[in-house]
Amino acid sequence: MTTEQLIQSLSAKVRPVSRRALGRRIGLGMLGGAVVTMTLVVSVLGIRPDLHDAMHGFPFWMKWFYTGSLGIGAVFAVTRLARPNRASLRGLWLLLVPVLLVAGVGISELADTPSSDWLAMWLGQSWMICPWLVLTLAMPIFIGLLWSFRKLAPTQLRAAGAAAGLASGAWAATIYCVHCPEASALFVLTWYTLGIGLAAGVGALLGPKLMRW
Amino acid sequence: MQTSEAQLRAWMTDGLNGDAAAHAALLRALVPLLNSFYRRRLRGAEEDVEDLVQETLISVHTRRASYDRERPFTAWLYAIARYRMIDHFRRRKIFVPIDDVEEILVTEGFEDASSARMDVDALLATLSLKQARAIRDTHIEGLSVAEAAARADMGESDVKVSVHRGLKSLASRILGDRT
Repeated sequence: MTTEQLIQSLSAKVRPVSRRALGRRIGLGMLGGAVVTMTLVVSVLGIRPDLHDAMHGFPFWMKWFYTGSLGIGAVFAVTRLARPNRASLRGLWLLLVPVLLVAGVGISELADTPSSDWLAMWLGQSWMICPWLVLTLAMPIFIGLLWSFRKLAPTQLRAAGAAAGLASGAWAATIYCVHCPEASALFVLTWYTLGIGLAAGVGALLGPKLMRW
Repeated sequence: MQTSEAQLRAWMTDGLNGDAAAHAALLRALVPLLNSFYRRRLRGAEEDVEDLVQETLISVHTRRASYDRERPFTAWLYAIARYRMIDHFRRRKIFVPIDDVEEILVTEGFEDASSARMDVDALLATLSLKQARAIRDTHIEGLSVAEAAARADMGESDVKVSVHRGLKSLASRILGDRT
């Protein structure tokens, strides 16, 4: 094909692209994945029976605050990395703020609990499966983001993969909260963070392979 | 003949708004730009240059949602062109001698622009935030005093004074460095 033919075929049908197309594309990909994750949580794991009561308590909102703020930060990084120009991620240290806040809550929990109960509080009932569930539930959202990236132009693929993994892990954890009965900040800080971190790591590993264009 | 940044950007914006003729004009204008970009970097591989130009045009078309209308068009274009070239090397398993990497990675005028930017950044960092910002807005980004005042939420005379004082202290600092 000559270049002129190519240009004619490319400009035969030019659809308008909205100013907010990039954000919309990322939002749509994540939303699609989140619906799948939500369905999995509701149908396979089940919503915790005391969800209504739990939503009046502090631990539930502490967990949502933690995973939600990580999720927002990660989505910010994803939108930056979706453009081809070298992205400045200087604002990313702000992700430490929720980590430190939850660590602070954790320390006050330790102070309020007799040391003989510390281990039980830290491990909860589900420490062995929690990180793996978060990682698994992150997959649909990650796939949604891969779809988003097909119209976008990431050039730092490892960073983009890690950010997409972090975003999908954090939002998967946010959804997982409607199932997970754990209430301790130390639990969240360790096992949720581990699951979200695993998702980011897998994203960094797969990014260069799956996001190539 | 190379088309100016302003013209390319105008075509790109119109194309994004759905104007097919502007989009075609943009893609046509990119051909000579990309040709010289790749030819300089892939000496003696004419057919590869044509492939790369076509692949880049396709990328520009399918990934145009990643262009930010507020930012320079050519920077976006060359970022895509550079990615396409690195991907091309990777696919063909071409290894580039490390001495040539730098030459391959510099974008047109990129080095000059960025070292100039570094000098300016270093100088502006010596001023107060307010003065640095006023100078950046009015003298680098090319805003009018009124626009800069609105953006920084300051009075116009305040912007003018900040620019004036800032430039004066920069001038004395540079002259002071020389003596």
